[in-house]
Amino acid sequence: MKRKSLLMFCLFLVVAWLSGCATFETEKKAVPYRLTAQGTVIWEDEFEFLPPPPDWKLLRVETGENDINFGFTRSDPGTFPSMTTFAYDEEPFGCSTKFEDREREFFKRFLFNAILQFQVLEKKKVQVLGAEGFEVTVEGKDPIKKEKVRAKVVFGKRGERIVGFYITQWRPIDGTYDLSAFEVFDRFVKSFKLLKKSFYETL
Amino acid sequence: MEGHQRNLYLYERFNARVLGVSRDDVITLKYFANSLDLTFPLLSNVTSFLGVSVDAQVEGRAIFSRRTIIIDKKGIIRYVRDGSPEFKDILLFLKKLNQEGGKP
Repeated sequence: MKRKSLLMFCLFLVVAWLSGCATFETEKKAVPYRLTAQGTVIWEDEFEFLPPPPDWKLLRVETGENDINFGFTRSDPGTFPSMTTFAYDEEPFGCSTKFEDREREFFKRFLFNAILQFQVLEKKKVQVLGAEGFEVTVEGKDPIKKEKVRAKVVFGKRGERIVGFYITQWRPIDGTYDLSAFEVFDRFVKSFKLLKKSFYETL
Repeated sequence: MEGHQRNLYLYERFNARVLGVSRDDVITLKYFANSLDLTFPLLSNVTSFLGVSVDAQVEGRAIFSRRTIIIDKKGIIRYVRDGSPEFKDILLFLKKLNQEGGKP
């Protein structure tokens, strides 16, 4: 029988229900990207993608672990909370490497502080990052705050791990969604290329 | 915790096992593990002797300090870091330890 080594790894933990929350913060220092003649962006020599139009502002998501998370945001016409944000996330909520399981895990925590009731509008397999991925479109409503959000999440594979793209568009409960923003997101996702192996693939 | 769960396949590759230790009671930890779909063990140490033994218990506090410890197969503590776990650092350290240890 194969003998397992006894390397043990202990964590002394404080049960903090909200630990690991990402916070959005606009990056103040110079960003590590360059534009190509083809109009795409090369990000840290690791990713290449088609950027959104100039009215979208760049976002970095601070994780504290140097994982790559970035996206774009845009204020939309109309009253609060009218805005749209989309992002690439190396470590979307959840742990599973199977798309269906990861979707379930992800939506347990996605926008958890907004306390929304989500309705799944569409689920389908898609091509992303050169392989099969999984796309889920949902709408969440908060009748107390009188707000709603339409969101699309695309899961893809980077090596053995699942990465994610997501867009959220917030509106007052009686507001109208601007689906053209989702087309911008779709172009971003479709254009997204991995230029090198991730840290985890090199171990 | 999710970060450790995501890395379990890599810990397995490096012959490492992960477990969590908390002063919370068993029911709380079960709920916590279920909420994050954790499959590795979480130990409830309400009396805090485990935390005291590795200096993770600040006197007078009801909770452990957040600390990551790696113990090698001889039982020697080889890595201690306070605060949020730095997963890439941990993985590189485990890889190095596994290479040091050779094949089991």
